[in-house]
Amino acid sequence: MLHLPIGLRTKVAILSLFLLCLPWLGYQYVWEMEKYLRHGQEKTLEGTTQALATALHERPKLFDKQASFLSQVEQGRDLYAYPLAGPIQLDGKLGDWSSYRHRALHYGEHHQLFSADETKPLKVDFTHMVGKYAGYLYGFFEVTDPNVVYRGTNSLRIDNNDHLAIATLAPDGKFRRYIVATIRDGWISAFELPENPKLRAPVTPEIKIQGKWLKTDKGYNVELRIPLEMVGSKLGFAVIDVNDRKSRQVEAIVGTSSTDDVENLGTVLVPSPEIESIIKGMSHNSSRIWVVDKHGRVLAKSGDIHTSTNVWAQTTKEQQDDSYWGRFKRDYLHPFYYRILTTPPKDFVDSLKDSTVLEGSHIRRALSGRLGSTWRLTPDGKAVVLAAASPIWIDDTVMGVVVAEETTHGIRTLRNKALEKLFNVILTVMSMGTLALFFFASSISSRIRKLRDEAEQAIDSQGRIKQAIVGSKVRDEIGDLSRSFASIVSRLGQYTHYLENMSSRLSHELRTPVAVVRSSLEHLALQELSPSHQKYVDRAQEGVSRLNMILNNMSEATRLEEALTHAEVDLFPLSKVVSGCMQGYQITYPKQRFQVDICQDPLSMHGVPEYIAQLMDKLIANAIEFNQAGSAIEVKLSAKGKMAILSIYNQGPALPDNMSEQIFESMVSVRHQQTQDKPHLGLGLYIARLIAEFHHGSISAKDRVIDGKHLGVEFTIRLPINLI
Amino acid sequence: MKRIAIVEDEAAIRENYKEVLQQQGYSVQAYANRPTALQAFTTRLPDLAIIDIGLENEIDGGFALCQSLRAMSSSLPIIFLTARDSDFDTVCGLRLGADDYLSKDVSFPHLIARLAALFRRSELQNSASLMENLIEHGNLTIDVNRIQVYWKQQPIELTVTEFWMVHALAKHPGHVRSRQALMQDAKIYVDDSTITSHVKRIRKKFIAQDDSFDCIDTVYGMGYRWDNQG
Repeated sequence: MLHLPIGLRTKVAILSLFLLCLPWLGYQYVWEMEKYLRHGQEKTLEGTTQALATALHERPKLFDKQASFLSQVEQGRDLYAYPLAGPIQLDGKLGDWSSYRHRALHYGEHHQLFSADETKPLKVDFTHMVGKYAGYLYGFFEVTDPNVVYRGTNSLRIDNNDHLAIATLAPDGKFRRYIVATIRDGWISAFELPENPKLRAPVTPEIKIQGKWLKTDKGYNVELRIPLEMVGSKLGFAVIDVNDRKSRQVEAIVGTSSTDDVENLGTVLVPSPEIESIIKGMSHNSSRIWVVDKHGRVLAKSGDIHTSTNVWAQTTKEQQDDSYWGRFKRDYLHPFYYRILTTPPKDFVDSLKDSTVLEGSHIRRALSGRLGSTWRLTPDGKAVVLAAASPIWIDDTVMGVVVAEETTHGIRTLRNKALEKLFNVILTVMSMGTLALFFFASSISSRIRKLRDEAEQAIDSQGRIKQAIVGSKVRDEIGDLSRSFASIVSRLGQYTHYLENMSSRLSHELRTPVAVVRSSLEHLALQELSPSHQKYVDRAQEGVSRLNMILNNMSEATRLEEALTHAEVDLFPLSKVVSGCMQGYQITYPKQRFQVDICQDPLSMHGVPEYIAQLMDKLIANAIEFNQAGSAIEVKLSAKGKMAILSIYNQGPALPDNMSEQIFESMVSVRHQQTQDKPHLGLGLYIARLIAEFHHGSISAKDRVIDGKHLGVEFTIRLPINLI
Repeated sequence: MKRIAIVEDEAAIRENYKEVLQQQGYSVQAYANRPTALQAFTTRLPDLAIIDIGLENEIDGGFALCQSLRAMSSSLPIIFLTARDSDFDTVCGLRLGADDYLSKDVSFPHLIARLAALFRRSELQNSASLMENLIEHGNLTIDVNRIQVYWKQQPIELTVTEFWMVHALAKHPGHVRSRQALMQDAKIYVDDSTITSHVKRIRKKFIAQDDSFDCIDTVYGMGYRWDNQG
């Protein structure tokens, strides 16, 4: 068992550390709550997607049939018309497209449709993309062709030069082919080919296809636009390369898909305006919503995941609080809390911002006909995005998926708010609780300490009662303890008082019978007695006078105690008193040698000089009694700091073991019985101690031992002096 | 024949003292308690009364009796003869108007000397004898016959013990009288601290008359000395 010196207060402080469990519990609770909120958000979001999917069910027109029925789409062949943010200026310079350039696909050898001579390397390749803006399908072709062959100015043929072939299955179900070929840079001329794919003529100009042809260092750029109503769900582009101006033979064809055959034509997905208009209603919603087709290609999109806070967050918006508490919270508590909590960041990287194809377990799940949802971390790890998907049904077939996405910022904000409140409450409760406990412990420990101090001060080292304990009035255990202490001390006090008065009462009670004996003996002495009788009377008288001396001794101590309680204190020179006393002793004890060393300073002190002289009497009497015959008694008075030190040394027998304290007690005498010719009550040193203590000094006795040889006994009295 | 009354509850002591005093030629009446004594005193006052303080069941019966006696006569010499020897009791007894306060340790010769001194004083006060035995030192005049001390011609009321102490000091001004010597001179046998308190009381009595009184000099550890220079 460890016994560390820990006070009550510290113990309570340690115990109150268990209050720290409270925030942990609260934190766990809030985490649990957040889990449920997340679940709720997931369900809500699934509900949103479901509601939107419901609006889109059984509306086949909205979906591009051709592509939708393909089992898979092929990038490059199946085109996707990106929604463009603004109109494109048709100037052949591709600056307008710069923000979309990363979407552009490169068509090279893998997309070669025809080669006149397989052994010759392909000289032509191009970069291409299509986009959609305000009813037009825009597209650009950045063709690398070291040898650009324009259409001859007078040639009727449009296909024996470098040209761009366009084929589409128009919305009316007809297969249409166009060729863009120019005789010089500038506005393009488009021509529609006959319906029969075998035929290349006659051609009719098609002015709805507008654009520009611009020669570049590498080859040429074509930038064009086609009204959306001319473009069906199938579309293919091909760049036909002619290098020999003489023969004008087609050397190679590179394209998105074969433009000769409707069957081989690739598809084009134009984000559906109808769907967009439907989900536009949802843009007021707080989440970002996508509608994708069964290939995951985005048909429509609304909302922005950055600006969209969600339902959860909106409810927790608070007004600026300008009260003291509000400001304190804002300036001190919140910075502290947000060292632990994380504020949902406003700027995080959204990997899907401009995606055209969505993927993910939720979409796969939705395509299989079930609701799905997934959580993902943004690539920078700053935000968690919740995505839910639900399928759109057309005739028992999943034609697309509605995807809704939200960040968990709302929940996190909500969680943070909850934690803030929780922390506030916990801080308050903890500080109040700790304070209360601390004060409680302090009051208990201070009461116990007070009691301890009182108990310690109640009885001095000699076991006498110095002051009574006043019992506490508080009705609890400590109060009880204090009251029992008070009663113990008072009972002990009564007993000590009884003991202390013992000698005075004894002397008083004995005095009368002694007087009887004495007066009777005196009577006897006055009468004529025979010598044999006289002898006994003398012995009896001697005995009585000894008894009388004992009684006097006994009452002397009592009387001194009494007198000390109302003694008048003067300022007097201690060294003068001591030297006066020493002169007196030299007269009184002419046979005794004294060796006196008294310091020159007066050493003035407060006290009663008569008592000091009495103290000297007692000590010198004691020293003479024990002194070895012939040796000198050394008396030395010196000052040390605020104390005068008086030492009286005599050569004589050693102090009895473990008695150096007791010899100053009342009625303690350590003389050998045989040396006793006078009565000794052991009051002399007791009186000396009383006087020393009355002057706030102390007295001690110890053997003087040098080199293990006992030389004598030295009494030392320390008395406080007044330093002027 | 002088009539002495002894009020003492302890029969043996009472009888012992009674016999001794009778042998000395005094007429002695002894009483065991206050009521009987008081009854006798109302009939006839003695020439001197020796009273114990504790009387049977009355702890302070002697004090009460002393007060009653003082009320009856202001000149009647009263001596307390008691076992109680505390300062407090001594002061109390003397304040109540007693002329002397003796402890029961006192020996017969001593007691008889005291009685004689008291009788002499009361006689002198009554008679207008001018037979002077005067000691004069500056402001101090001691009339040994009348057992009276004057300071600046004003009488100072001292008890017999105090008188003899002043007498012993002033007889040889400038000489240090040890406590033992004072005890012998005052014919009392008490411990040193009683001498100290007697000296203190004497000083107080002089100072009550004259603030500037400073003739009794303490020689620390040795005793006291009468110093005319003050």
